[in-house]
Amino acid sequence: MMAAIFNLNHPAHTVHWHFFSMSVANVVVIVVMLIVFVVAILAPFPGHRGTER
Amino acid sequence: MSRESRRREDETYREWKGAYKPYDILREATIALGVVLGLALVLTILFSSPDLKPSTVQTWARSDPVDFVTTATTELDGSSAIGGYGPPYNSASDGQNIWFIHLAKWFGIAHPINTAQDFVLAPLHSLTAQPALTAAVSMYEAAPANSQTAWTGAYEKALGNASANPDGSIKVKPGNYGPLPTMMNSLLTFAQSGGLDGALLTSKQFYQTDYTKPLLFMADGGVLTNRAQQQHLLGTQWGMMNETGSYPGQVWLWLYTFWYQIKPFSTSTNADILVMAVMGVLSILFVMVPFLPGVRDLPRRVPIYKRIWRDHYRTVGASGA
Amino acid sequence: MSVVRRKSWTARARERAVGALPPEKLLPDSQPSYMSSWIYVFGVLTLTALIVIIASGSILALKGPGWWHFTGIGLFFNSIHMWSVELFFFFMVIHLWGKYWMAAWRGGRARVWITGAVTFLVAVPCALSGYVSQQNFDAQWISTQAKDAMNASGIGAFWNLMNFGQMYSYHVFLLPLAVVALVIAHVLLVRKHGIVPPFELSEAQAKPASGAGPAPDSGSGGAS
Repeated sequence: MMAAIFNLNHPAHTVHWHFFSMSVANVVVIVVMLIVFVVAILAPFPGHRGTER
Repeated sequence: MSRESRRREDETYREWKGAYKPYDILREATIALGVVLGLALVLTILFSSPDLKPSTVQTWARSDPVDFVTTATTELDGSSAIGGYGPPYNSASDGQNIWFIHLAKWFGIAHPINTAQDFVLAPLHSLTAQPALTAAVSMYEAAPANSQTAWTGAYEKALGNASANPDGSIKVKPGNYGPLPTMMNSLLTFAQSGGLDGALLTSKQFYQTDYTKPLLFMADGGVLTNRAQQQHLLGTQWGMMNETGSYPGQVWLWLYTFWYQIKPFSTSTNADILVMAVMGVLSILFVMVPFLPGVRDLPRRVPIYKRIWRDHYRTVGASGA
Repeated sequence: MSVVRRKSWTARARERAVGALPPEKLLPDSQPSYMSSWIYVFGVLTLTALIVIIASGSILALKGPGWWHFTGIGLFFNSIHMWSVELFFFFMVIHLWGKYWMAAWRGGRARVWITGAVTFLVAVPCALSGYVSQQNFDAQWISTQAKDAMNASGIGAFWNLMNFGQMYSYHVFLLPLAVVALVIAHVLLVRKHGIVPPFELSEAQAKPASGAGPAPDSGSGGAS
């Protein structure tokens, strides 16, 4: 059986805020999405390479 | 913005007549494929994926025989969740509705389930060479309805204080339960042997892929709910978004599960159809964004686009040509 | 030899297709100069994530639904499939955010937005049918919970989450077919209409003033 390097098979830690309750993993995904979105917009794009849209 | 000015604007943006630069679309797609494949591989090597073994009627009956027998008794008298569910399983209720819209009722009983027959009586009938059991089942089926209800009611009450013996059987305070103890002890033994899993699955035909009956039976008890609570999958735990363990789940369902947490949805018996209706409307609006006044104009008013196209604006100046 | 005056279906279809998508539009080797932002990579990242989903799903389909529970290599491909689904939705939503803030439906591109939005809405039940096809505890819980929403809306009468055979058929064939068809339509529409040009800035907007009700530039159009 191939074992993962990090074992995530334990009950999730949750983030509670008022009535919001979200697993840490999901919060990480959402936060990373927002960061990636902002970085994608702000990061300088190499000019005249034309290899990525 | 007037319709005329909107039409003019649409013509402005229809075709780009300005400068182009070299671009290799196939190379870009190949690089992107490599990036995504690489990310998927890294995540797989780091974290793998979850695979909690399924519960079975057998494991349920062995780990919590009192809960199993209690559930079976409520199936017998129709007081279980599925017993009173309504369409598509039975006509015990009308199902959920919004005002005059009874979608569940209109679509009818598509997956008929008679909880007493399907979960208790038919499996017991299939057991042979047990004259005491056969007599008990006959006695129950021949009895008038009020006797049956009296037996199941008394038995369910007693089961509230029952306990499990080390050998897997249950100990219930003596009382007037009619043939129920004989029936339920046989059903419990049948379940603990693994036979009931198969009987519920193949009741219609040999080749089966429809797990509706064993799943609904287990869902009426506590076996799935207890595991779900440990895994933070309950509705009150925003479980719809979650995966078992500490894995990321279905983040895209955030708005769907959100409604269930607030009134009026959280306290309504029609919560499901209400949430589906709200999400249905929002989905249609989402598809129709280009035509929604206000929503379609917001990007123009929020200067995110100025950051996205800053190189272009710097190059061409104010006219945007 | 007489000339055929009535065009055949084939000729008409070919001319329409080639007219809408000539080779240089289908496989361009240039792009508008204003495409100078990383936000533009999220469409192709979403598309390639879908390719990885289908490839890994195909491996899982080759060996049948029970295989991955009992071998390390099976679990490996299941993991690739699961993570590529996470990446697919991750990139798709960022792509959606970018396209919204660019108002990418402008200039007759409403159908591009519509096909993209419907793709998202079809991908969600496609994923759901996968989650209930896992044949593990997660599948048991999700199917017995989500059944209530399906039943309440009438969908449960003909789409039974607890019917593994039905769900597996939808997941492996019917819904991916729908998603792929929508994505093909979406991408071909993008190729046909081109990437939406930037908003035009008026004189007032070009100055670094606070955004007072921007008036769109009309009439001058995109001069070459």
